Amino acid sequence: MIKLEPALLQAVSKPARYTGNELNAVNKDHKLMKCSWALALPDVYEVGMSNLGLKILYQVLNDRDDTVAERVYAPWIDMEEKMRSEGLELWSLESFTPVKTFDFVGFSLQYEMIYTNILNMLALAKIPQQSAARGDSDPFIVGGGPCVYNPEPVAEFFDLFIIGEGEEVIEELTDSFIEWKMAQCPGGRTAFLRRAAQIEGIYVPSLYEVTYDGAKVTGVTPIVPEAKTLVYKRVIKDMDAVTFAEKPVVPYIDIVHDRLMLELFRGCTRGCRFCQAGMTYRPVRERSPQRLRELAKTMESSTGYDEMSLTSLSSADYSCLGMLVDDLFADFKDAKISLSLPSLRIDSFSIDLAHKMQQVRKSGLTFAPEAGTQRLRDVINKGVTEEDLLTAAAAAFRQGWKAVKLYFMMGLPTETDEDIVGIARLAQRVVDLYSQIKGRRGVKVTVSVSCFVPKAHTPFQWFVQDSLAEFERKQQLLKDNIRDRSIQFKYHDARTSYLEGAISRGDRRLAKVIYQAWLDGAKFDGWSDQFKYEVWLEAFHKCSINPEDYSQRERSFTEHLPWEHVSPGVNKEFFLREYKKACQQELTEDCRRGRCSACGVCPNLEAAVVDGGKKYE
Amino acid sequence: MSNFRLEITKGEEIRYISHLDYASLMERAVRRAKLPVAYSEGFNPHMKIAFASALAVGVTSDAEYMDIELTKPVCQPEFFDKLRAVLPLGVRLLQAREFTGKVKALMAAVELADYEIQVPLTGDFSQAQTGIIAYNKVDEAIYTRNMLKKVKTIEVKQYMDEKILAAEGRDGNLCLQMQIKITPAGSIKPGEILEVLRDQFSVPIAVEAATINRRALHGAGKPLIDLV
Repeated sequence: MIKLEPALLQAVSKPARYTGNELNAVNKDHKLMKCSWALALPDVYEVGMSNLGLKILYQVLNDRDDTVAERVYAPWIDMEEKMRSEGLELWSLESFTPVKTFDFVGFSLQYEMIYTNILNMLALAKIPQQSAARGDSDPFIVGGGPCVYNPEPVAEFFDLFIIGEGEEVIEELTDSFIEWKMAQCPGGRTAFLRRAAQIEGIYVPSLYEVTYDGAKVTGVTPIVPEAKTLVYKRVIKDMDAVTFAEKPVVPYIDIVHDRLMLELFRGCTRGCRFCQAGMTYRPVRERSPQRLRELAKTMESSTGYDEMSLTSLSSADYSCLGMLVDDLFADFKDAKISLSLPSLRIDSFSIDLAHKMQQVRKSGLTFAPEAGTQRLRDVINKGVTEEDLLTAAAAAFRQGWKAVKLYFMMGLPTETDEDIVGIARLAQRVVDLYSQIKGRRGVKVTVSVSCFVPKAHTPFQWFVQDSLAEFERKQQLLKDNIRDRSIQFKYHDARTSYLEGAISRGDRRLAKVIYQAWLDGAKFDGWSDQFKYEVWLEAFHKCSINPEDYSQRERSFTEHLPWEHVSPGVNKEFFLREYKKACQQELTEDCRRGRCSACGVCPNLEAAVVDGGKKYE
Repeated sequence: MSNFRLEITKGEEIRYISHLDYASLMERAVRRAKLPVAYSEGFNPHMKIAFASALAVGVTSDAEYMDIELTKPVCQPEFFDKLRAVLPLGVRLLQAREFTGKVKALMAAVELADYEIQVPLTGDFSQAQTGIIAYNKVDEAIYTRNMLKKVKTIEVKQYMDEKILAAEGRDGNLCLQMQIKITPAGSIKPGEILEVLRDQFSVPIAVEAATINRRALHGAGKPLIDLV
């Protein structure tokens, strides 16, 4: 057990990040357990504690009598310095146990720019960073989360990855481990990995060989019979039956999402062509309103929270949303709970709903038209027209909203300067609309524009990313075209997107770049005040790797892609069809209610769309 | 309408949380207990609870006080048991007293805080004792508080009630007891007194490693719970 002295805690910012003891944290006697998991998110406590996936897995694992799961997050810079000077090893928050003594350490991989933090946490835990260097006394390092759809850049650091939804497979993995351990670990570490590789949804990178031809990968092939040629993701078929985070840990300090999260459904089949989540979380599977009301009650009583977010990829698409919101308000009428939606659809239904939800509290409204012209919105299959946006904004203004935030991307396929100027024009129309309706000025429109990063397993996975100079030129062009002072323009650091572009479509060779960047001091790269762009460029240079070979090289449709052996269940042929339709500005219907677009996910995974609206029709 | 005044603790488990965190922790506990708590009116309703004096990050307490307003009467044993059952680690409910009618708010009633401090000695106990005797004798001592953008000088002796008592504590620690006045014009933090002792009275202590515990909060010469 690691003991933290007052002098140490009093010298760091927000010491309560490190001292645990929160409500609903689970304490078990490790000696009585057959398997132990450290669930890690490679960012600070406030970010890590906000992650829903880990909350669920924490509950799934701790519901077992034979297993303990504890939490660990990245110490902030000041704590890291103290740990290094005092020789303290990374500990888990529940029992202050050194992380290296756990059987498994599971990292949730939320975005590419946090990879160096994984290396940093492993170093602080005194666990060898390369899987090949780990021995029988080291934990198995497991990766999961959205980034596993191209796990290759970090493949060398992980013993295995869980592809897809983890509730069931993490139990199968735990069972398999316990069986192996009870049999006195026959064959040692490698034997367990070969055993794990046979579980659906488990990818063990060391059991594959990668072949290259210059900048290209020509194949990723299994080298043992246990490893599957194609690893499909895991998917939960019955959302009502699966365990949920009903008793989440309640932090003492303010965290990023300091509220209950009620997950309405998984998947989104609107089919936006840039969106990796939309492709990888298919098919849509709803929870029933009855189950959601039950969960909401349990969560409220077990935590005492007064805020609940109805989360999903596109919550406004939940088939019974209006009814559910009314029911929840009725259920909690004495408890003063406020409900919120993380994102709104661009229509007046959403505005009415947002209005209803704000009976208790008031906040701003956010819409995501994503692109500035109809042509480009059709390219990305964002089925939203300018009229939709103006109708929704008009409804919002009539209900009393005075601030609207609009999300866009730049660098989308086929984009021209006209599309960029279109963003400014659209924002201006929203401003003018307000004056028209209200007869006065006074609206605040925030235009937030990110730089598009093409992602693996999307129709745009072959696409050449804009260069840094082009992103910066477009940002300037847009800035020059925004003239109204009611419009505030916010944009992202294009350098982050440039690196993300290289890593997100990278292969195994990038591990040495990530390692080099970490060696040279890169960490918390997702934090703009910590991001060290030069260190990264230098790391690429030192490893003789050109990032643009990954992000700005034109890939042919026949080229083998480095991530093809891992699959969300959506076929490559579908992505190709969608790419071609994008170039023709042709739309694809949402299969949830409309025509099936034969993406392949349902037959490949023996899954099906579960949609209340469809059921009641 | 019915009110309760609570005497509660802030234990070792939650030593490093702030006063605001402590307040929201209690708010959530009251909600879990399903007590008929009153809320303010308006767009942004607030639970009607109030505290006496903020406790700093890093300080524990044997006696914090909180007033809570209910919308309908709840009998004392029921109130006590319901709330006690849902408190997280680090908070113990010591007393709950029902009161009605007008009572001076906790913030206005509190006058004195009693602290016990364990702080590692970096020199002799006798040297520490000499310094503390000297501090107890002087009429004035100035502390310079570095705020975010400005510097404020504070005469600290005006906030001292009685002398600081010093004894040899556990494991080479110096154990100090001090009473600090809380006035409408302000107060001083015990950690700040430690700095004054170290910097101006040559008391050899490692201030950064001190553990501070508030033992009591008084008003009109009595623990705040006895004012209702």
